[in-house]
Amino acid sequence: MAENEERLRRTMMFVPGNNPAMVKDAGIYGADSIMFDLEDSVSMSEKDAARVLVYEALQTQDYGNAELVVRVNGQDTPYYANDVKAMVKAGIDVIRLPKAETPEMVHQLEDDILAAEKEFGREVGSTHLMAAIESAKGVLNAPQIAAASDRMIGIALSAEDYTTDMKTHRYPDGAELVFARNMVLHAARAAGVAAFDTVFTNMDDTEGFYRETEYIHQLGFDGKSLVNPRQIAMVNKVYEPTEKEVLNAKNVINAIEEARLKGSGVISMNGQMVDRPVVLRAQRVMRLAKASNLVDEEGNYIEK
Amino acid sequence: MEIKETAVAGTLESSDIQIMISKAATGIQIDLQSDVEKQFGDQIRNVITTTLNALDVTAAKVKAVDKGALDCVIKARTIAAVQRASQTTDQPAWEVL
Amino acid sequence: MDNQIVDLYLNDPKVKKDWQAFLTSLNITNFAANEVDQIDYTIGIYNGDDLVATGSVAGNVLKYIGVCNKGVTNGSRFNAIVSELVNRQFAQHIYHLFVFTKIKYSESFQHIGFSELAHSDEAAFLETGSPDVNDFLAEIPRVDGQNDKQVAGIVMNANPFTRGHRYLVEQAASQNDLVYVFVVNTDASLFTTAERFQLVQAGTADLDNVIVVDGGDYMVSYATFPAYFLASPDQAVTYQTTLDARIFRNVIAPALNIKTRYVGSEPLSRTTNIYNEVLNRELPPAVQVKVIDRTQTLTSDQQVITATQVRQFIKNGELSSLSDFVPETTAQFIQHHLTPLQTRIQEGMNIDGN
Repeated sequence: MAENEERLRRTMMFVPGNNPAMVKDAGIYGADSIMFDLEDSVSMSEKDAARVLVYEALQTQDYGNAELVVRVNGQDTPYYANDVKAMVKAGIDVIRLPKAETPEMVHQLEDDILAAEKEFGREVGSTHLMAAIESAKGVLNAPQIAAASDRMIGIALSAEDYTTDMKTHRYPDGAELVFARNMVLHAARAAGVAAFDTVFTNMDDTEGFYRETEYIHQLGFDGKSLVNPRQIAMVNKVYEPTEKEVLNAKNVINAIEEARLKGSGVISMNGQMVDRPVVLRAQRVMRLAKASNLVDEEGNYIEK
Repeated sequence: MEIKETAVAGTLESSDIQIMISKAATGIQIDLQSDVEKQFGDQIRNVITTTLNALDVTAAKVKAVDKGALDCVIKARTIAAVQRASQTTDQPAWEVL
Repeated sequence: MDNQIVDLYLNDPKVKKDWQAFLTSLNITNFAANEVDQIDYTIGIYNGDDLVATGSVAGNVLKYIGVCNKGVTNGSRFNAIVSELVNRQFAQHIYHLFVFTKIKYSESFQHIGFSELAHSDEAAFLETGSPDVNDFLAEIPRVDGQNDKQVAGIVMNANPFTRGHRYLVEQAASQNDLVYVFVVNTDASLFTTAERFQLVQAGTADLDNVIVVDGGDYMVSYATFPAYFLASPDQAVTYQTTLDARIFRNVIAPALNIKTRYVGSEPLSRTTNIYNEVLNRELPPAVQVKVIDRTQTLTSDQQVITATQVRQFIKNGELSSLSDFVPETTAQFIQHHLTPLQTRIQEGMNIDGN
């Protein structure tokens, strides 16, 4: 698991890597993560140009606090090696490996990242990685993949290729993804990394999008991959904590603060001991509440 | 880098610039078409020229059609076009990126 | 996603039907075989299940560009389609592209880097890429003090070069300081462009003030102009010849100081006559048109010399009267290459055109 503070990853927005208008504007929509794509959205003849474009944009464009991710081309392509080198040189936060099927593939990426960090004088270990699970084999190996690297920040389910591999396609009720979603989610949680759900491509079906997002939120996913900036606000709305959750979390935070002031090693609230998972959940709810503008800087609930 | 054949990079879509590079006997000659030629023509030419210099291209004919590209896009498209024209696409010019 | 470009396989009847229906809705209605069959490939953009933009390529010509702008920024789909076509052609090392289009779309193409070569009331002819018309003109040989000389131009297909052609060049050469003979560059004739060019050069080698030039892409044979976006064939002939004449008048002639264009009178070909009429209407006063009477070059038995007749001789293998029709250089070439020429005819090369 990557040694980075847990951050919100509700929305990971796909940006086609050879489209200057979208690359330029990617920062203005407030996505938690921006994923520049060098893979499927870029035709073979434009792989070189997309790589240079994303590289130059990363040097000059301000993407605010968003986590910056690049999906490189697969390890079986002639573009992979230069994609990884260029993105490490560019100082990308996270490299996303497509079609991950084995922990060895992650180790390979790790080695390639390390070599590039040394070649281009970047801090060793500063480049994180994530893996996309897109096949039956990938799903079954998800626990090993998720735990394969200290640089790993998360794993993502990619349903288009996965359903093809499973000899099915996507249905509105998502029954074909039940196993894969739970497997990916469990693998991520067991390894202590983030879990990202797949994209929802029918932009006209708002109701379906909400239904799916509420479902994966309920399961426990950190967030969802998105193809359209319009979906960001919708996901954020689903992930918005309720007033009751915020007030409860605030109580936990107050209890922590009180314990700190007392110099006590044990946090208690309402006569019960507050254990670590509860603390982490409270911190996460407060981050969500702040990101959703439900609380002020001090964490006080803002009445609407 | 030596320009061995004509090559192009970039598109004619909004925020992009299409850069076509061909052989020339000597010097760099830039033919630029842009809606913002008046305000930014010199700057666009300057980015192209600077990038060509950095890539060590001393002779080239450049035809550029700008659709409102940022400097980083102009630079990226120039690099991509030169690498294609010099048949070095698989060996990125790391020192210039 | 918006503006996702996909390949359209027109071999698929359903795809072709949708494609035709979409273009028809944009008033592009000519799907004649001679237009559609030349298409190398077609791309499109769908919005849901509806085709909303398309474009095709035939060789170095963009064709059947059609775009619906409903619900999107004006021009974004157009730019996406044309960009994709241009980039795909460049990737195949075709760096010089043309488009023939309705006059109202000329500006849209100019906006994305095309230069207009000529336009008529209904149509425009544009190019992009490299080498362009300026490169073409720069390559044409000049003589010292050309701007003070009397310069003439002749455009010919010369399929093959006959005594009629020779007479036309002789007349021009005797009346001017310098004569450019432009050989039409289209490989749709019995004799290839290289062969025709070579025969014109050989047949005029003794004339010191004649320069033979490959017409390149700018002396377009009217047979090759696409006209899919025009309603009637008549309209097509007029627009094609008009554009051709205007490129000569506006672009070619001024660059070379050509003040006179020589043409042969055409007693037998209706289309060539229409062409000459258009030249007479379009070229003056910038360029004078001089018609040389073809009947001055009848054969010994009073036949009009035509390249069409020469091709008939080749087909039938009757070479006895060849020398009455063509200069010695052409006759020798035909004698040495009779079999391959006859093979081309047997393989379906049409020899009845101009």
